[in-house]
Amino acid sequence: MIKHIARKEFTDVIRDGRFRWCAAVVGALLLVSLGHGWVQARQAQEELAAAQATAREHWESQGEKNPHSAAHYGIYAFKPRLALSFVDEGVDPYTGTSVWLEAHRQNDFLMRPAQDATSAQRIGALTAAQVLQNLVPLLIILLTFGALAGEREQGTLRQLLATGVGRPELGLGKALGIAGALALLLVPAAVVGAAALVVGSPGPAASPLARGAVLAGVYLAYFAAFVGLSLAVSAWARSARTALVVLLAVWVVNGLVAPRAAVDLSKWIHPTPSAVEFARTLEREMAAGVEDVQRPDRAALTESLLAEHGVERVEDLPVNEVGVYLQESEEFGNRIFDRNYGALWDTFERQGVVHEALAVAAPLLAVRTLSMGLAGTDVEQHRHFATAAEAYRRDLMRQMNGDLAENSRTGELYTAGPDLWAEVPPLQYDAPTLGWVLNNRILSLLVLGLWLAGAVWAAAASVRRAEVA
Amino acid sequence: MSEVVTIDAPSASASPSSAGASPSVLEARALSKRYGDVEAVSNLDLRVGPSEIYCLLGPNGAGKTTTIHLFLGFLEPTAGSVHVTGLDVAAEPLESKRRLAYIPEQVMLYRNLSGLENLEYFAALGGRGSLAPEHLTDVLAGAGLPRDAVRRRVSEYSKGMRQKVGVAIAIAKEADALLLDEPTSGLDPQASNEFSELLGRLRDRGVAVLMATHDLFRAKETGTRVGIMRHGRLVTEMSTDEIGHADLERIYLEHMHE
Repeated sequence: MIKHIARKEFTDVIRDGRFRWCAAVVGALLLVSLGHGWVQARQAQEELAAAQATAREHWESQGEKNPHSAAHYGIYAFKPRLALSFVDEGVDPYTGTSVWLEAHRQNDFLMRPAQDATSAQRIGALTAAQVLQNLVPLLIILLTFGALAGEREQGTLRQLLATGVGRPELGLGKALGIAGALALLLVPAAVVGAAALVVGSPGPAASPLARGAVLAGVYLAYFAAFVGLSLAVSAWARSARTALVVLLAVWVVNGLVAPRAAVDLSKWIHPTPSAVEFARTLEREMAAGVEDVQRPDRAALTESLLAEHGVERVEDLPVNEVGVYLQESEEFGNRIFDRNYGALWDTFERQGVVHEALAVAAPLLAVRTLSMGLAGTDVEQHRHFATAAEAYRRDLMRQMNGDLAENSRTGELYTAGPDLWAEVPPLQYDAPTLGWVLNNRILSLLVLGLWLAGAVWAAAASVRRAEVA
Repeated sequence: MSEVVTIDAPSASASPSSAGASPSVLEARALSKRYGDVEAVSNLDLRVGPSEIYCLLGPNGAGKTTTIHLFLGFLEPTAGSVHVTGLDVAAEPLESKRRLAYIPEQVMLYRNLSGLENLEYFAALGGRGSLAPEHLTDVLAGAGLPRDAVRRRVSEYSKGMRQKVGVAIAIAKEADALLLDEPTSGLDPQASNEFSELLGRLRDRGVAVLMATHDLFRAKETGTRVGIMRHGRLVTEMSTDEIGHADLERIYLEHMHE
């Protein structure tokens, strides 16, 4: 019986000209955004690889110079784009994907397309994730609002229920029929997406197929929740028009109001300093130190070195006192950076938790978080890379200052050459595993699961109680 | 109607054995339905046996449609009970509906499906499974739908054609009982006559029919018994063999003017 209902619903929907037009538009947008995202991600990956090679070449060919000057010369680190970033570019356009690593400074990330984009470009940059998160639910609403309310209005519901069909079977059959019609749109998109991953992955591997499968599961759960919710409203509403108005209001809140409100609310609960304020604090603390983090006392350090090596003049030290002091200064700076950036990242993390918890009011928030996480473009994975890049910078500084300290004497004009630059290994970055991502996103998974269960329950309860006329 | 459709005899569930002490296919026992202060149906006792066409007459608001909706389980009785082939509708709503076919005043169908697809769908939901398209085409033709129309979308059908699909749906279900709510309303005289002939054939095959109608002429011509309702009460009932057209009209008007 469910099969008959699903088949009829499917046939009825696909013969509806309105569905065909809407599905064609959404399908075209989805395929175009997937294709555009893939091309863009591939281009970005190629540019990144080229830039990385150039940066390395510049580093190795910087000529003879003092290792500390080389530390100031610095090197760029580029965040690799993961394979699924073509589906969801996440926060990358806002956080940037490259950072200049140099002595004494933990720089901000560069290459932020959003910074240079005009308003029109920001609106026009429709990603596959945005189509999936906003337009597909709108299509589901247009498909489903009349599922029961429309039948009631037309009088077919009375005839349908007079046949002896059970209401649970009716609800399930309708949901499956609508799912079938949606599959006409989504399955080709999923095949194109999977082919893009398999044939020409735009980014390095970090279990892309497994991530893709989980991502597909997340979106399926989201769409199923929308179908359930729409069916519940359609069964509850007195008229199809009422059902449509209520569902459109839900869509506006879910897709437009909640994301903005969630950002504002999480920032209000856990405020972050402005960029200028943050930079000033860093500057002040770097200059004067703070509480238990104080600038190294050069005179004391010299005294300590002389005592340690049993000599009276710095020229007699077996190490270059300048190199040792520079590294001590570096360690001081690192503690200041850890203190400030650590607090900033922790605040971002707390904001993220609030954002995830607010998904109980709008499933899009949970889906967006999971989508960015699985695409490797969320704040946490940006932090993961930023932490790795900063660790690499510190190793680099340690190596440069260490070479200066160990291979020269105080006051000596010392230079190192290409051999030392070549000894510095390139940044080897391993993106987080799928398990790491899911572990970080348990709250969003839980909330999405709750939405799905709640929508199924609401649909079942509403269809059971739906009035016949 | 040009063709005769094969209609299987109703199942044995219409027999007294399955209905306990009652031989009725449709039965209302002290049935009442109240909406606030308004009693839409009041203490109604009604029995329709196999091969019987019971016509419920009465003005708008008399309680005819409410009675039919109570038999369909769309409404819960305030008091009393309704039974279909002995099954209590409140206790076994789905099973009792599977033994019924229903034709409303305006048969509403799925506009994007053809008449054949609509019939196939309703027949499947009515428990007939997947029937052969040829058989269903015969059923539609037997109900009076032109054969060249069966595969056209219902959006192109007239009201009369939709009504014929509704009749075909009822026939295809092979139910024990048929509930009709003003089924000939809006049909032309020829279509109404064809409909009456069809009811006669169903009656001959043992189907119990309960028809709510305003049409005194059709009730006398088609029905075996007539009941007149007013203000939710069954004020009188009689066999159509015992009276003529004029008698029925006179009795009806007398009750309406009381």
